[in-house]
Amino acid sequence: MRIAILRPQVPFARGGAEIFTDELVDELRLRGHEADLVSVPFKWYPGARVLTQAFLWRLLDLEEADGRTIDLVVATKFPSYVVRHREKRVWLVHQFRQAYELDGTTLGQFGDSPEERGLRRRVQELDRVALGEATRLFATSANVAGRLERSTGLVAEVLPHPPQQLRYRHETSTGFVLSASRLDRAKRIDLLLEALALDPTLEAVITSDGPDRERLEELARARGIDGRARFEGRVSPERLAELYATCSSVFYAPVDEDFGMGPYEAFLSAKPVITTSDAGGPLDVVHDRRTGLVVAPAATAVASAAAWLREHETDAEAFGAAGKALADEVTWDRAIGRLLG
Amino acid sequence: MKVAYFSPMPPEASGIADYSALLLPELRKHLDVQVVKRGTKRPPKGVDLSVYHIGNNPDSHGWILDALRRSPGAVVLHDFVLHHLVAGVTIGRRDGHGYLDAMEREHGVVGRLLGHGVLDKRLPPLWEVRPEEFPLAGEVLGLARGLVVHSHHVEERAHGAGYVGPLIRVPHPAWPDPGLAPAQLEGSPLVGSFGNVNTSKRIPQLLEAFARVRRDHPAARLLLVGAVSPGFDLERRLQRLGLDGDGIVREGHVDERRLWALMAACDVHVSLRSPTMGETSGTAIRALGLGKPLVVTDVGWFAELPDAVALKVSVGDREVDDLAAALGLLAGRPDARERMGAAARTLALEEHDLVRVAERQAAAFERIAGGAAVGDEVLRDVSRAAAGVGIGAGSAEASEIARRLSEVDLGG
Repeated sequence: MRIAILRPQVPFARGGAEIFTDELVDELRLRGHEADLVSVPFKWYPGARVLTQAFLWRLLDLEEADGRTIDLVVATKFPSYVVRHREKRVWLVHQFRQAYELDGTTLGQFGDSPEERGLRRRVQELDRVALGEATRLFATSANVAGRLERSTGLVAEVLPHPPQQLRYRHETSTGFVLSASRLDRAKRIDLLLEALALDPTLEAVITSDGPDRERLEELARARGIDGRARFEGRVSPERLAELYATCSSVFYAPVDEDFGMGPYEAFLSAKPVITTSDAGGPLDVVHDRRTGLVVAPAATAVASAAAWLREHETDAEAFGAAGKALADEVTWDRAIGRLLG
Repeated sequence: MKVAYFSPMPPEASGIADYSALLLPELRKHLDVQVVKRGTKRPPKGVDLSVYHIGNNPDSHGWILDALRRSPGAVVLHDFVLHHLVAGVTIGRRDGHGYLDAMEREHGVVGRLLGHGVLDKRLPPLWEVRPEEFPLAGEVLGLARGLVVHSHHVEERAHGAGYVGPLIRVPHPAWPDPGLAPAQLEGSPLVGSFGNVNTSKRIPQLLEAFARVRRDHPAARLLLVGAVSPGFDLERRLQRLGLDGDGIVREGHVDERRLWALMAACDVHVSLRSPTMGETSGTAIRALGLGKPLVVTDVGWFAELPDAVALKVSVGDREVDDLAAALGLLAGRPDARERMGAAARTLALEEHDLVRVAERQAAAFERIAGGAAVGDEVLRDVSRAAAGVGIGAGSAEASEIARRLSEVDLGG
């Protein structure tokens, strides 16, 4: 089949959705499909730009390319699903969250003026129309599916995807907590830093980069923990696999996350995950005292959890092993089988 | 967003007052709502949108129409047929010319002549005998910056009348079951009809049909709750049909608690209407929430109820036969009553859920207040981009862009 994978691209930003779509293309090709990525830049401000940029997708003609039919398109996140195609499948990573659950929070975008309220509602209407056109609708997690159903009434099948391919392995813990999330405010790395400030025996390695990095590094300095909280920035795949293999636990506590590959990456290294009760998507697989620890979104709780997992190695190993069993079930074969089925 | 809210409110005896009392606490979770006092002529300063609840009753809605005329805004249109309202604010205020103008504006010279006939008492009042033919909704539609309606029926009629502004259908919310003990009434089954006792509620047909049902189901009782309209001789009809003995249970106007207790006692609810003004029945909505099977007239909003919850009877020669058959079926089939009741409760919980309805209504108001400006901005942006690459107005490419904008409801 000729399959186009649709991905909006915020120039210079790379995160889970980019990794997911790149790998989806590779995996489809491995299975004999002719797959390609179709990407359009996305900017969501100012004013109604969110809608005009979304509308760009509607102007694309993806029925065929170079005289040959495109059998199927797979849209992923807002606004790629605004595209028109007779076989439009949506594997929803997320909607435009500022128009939904982030509205009215510090992560929101729309103010209280009638124009901004009206704009938010137009985004929601666009979702209802565009997602309603999908011939099949999947969501990467129960959290994403739940939000979709609450906001539009549309029901999606939950279809998780495997995390990025690394040389996952398990080694003896050297005692540190790993955070591999992108450094933005919604990932709440500061909870981990505050936990380190509370418990001087804790150590953490923080990889990746993002707009919140400066603030987080300043916070670490202010708390006097910059020796125990090591910021490594973007690391090579080999280094990341090594960190997963040797940590005692993985901290992953975003606010109401869509899906979150972090837990799957931790589990493939047979490591337990510390998350919070309000983390959203990760709660699909991080089950308290079975595959990790689910705690209140408070630094004291995170500190206790990290110390407990470091000191209870047998339990931590058991949680990691249970997580691995879950993650091993999420394969590209299964995901692609359902996506194209 | 700040909203000025024009509506009848309790203790005013009005279904729309009850509706607003139910909805407002939830709506306030989304919007800064200021309910204006009855008689207010203009919205308070600083509001972003005025919302006018318009129904057919001139006593309840005349002042709201006056305010709408001064400051257009969003209209929640509870009835499509507004003839009685228009007559009330014209003839009722000794403004016969206003009535003639309204009739002419919407129905031409013939309308004006008919209006003269009414004013001269040569014709019976059209709002009583033929309101559905002369709905007189045009002025309200013309003043509405956006419409919120409860039914596809009103949506279609408004579109049919040429309304082109934002029009959003938001179902009527359901009241939570207050859990009151059912009133102790005899009847197996007990069939209830709630509301004014008159011909437009099809009471003559109901009585005749029920008299037939009683032949096969002598233990059945009909509960009639509501005031008898002037000129409707209920007693004589009951005598003629042999229902003046123990076949009928009568209650006049009752308070809310008694209403719920009586409704809870019924096995079957009858909600008949012809002609319809386009209204949604608050008592039928209550019956759904209580999980009661319905028998309704196959018109307007009532016709949109799923078959799983309501047996529908058409107006016409066979109306009494069909009504008797529907009541007979439900009288003899407790299993069907139970099945329909369960479906009714599910419908109330899903389609008419108060929290969802309030969210949808807030969305509608925000869309009406700010959506047009957003649409204009999108069109401006897209037009500028198109012009920048040489796509001129009227070209095939411009038409294609317009078509695609329209597909995703971004066409202004």
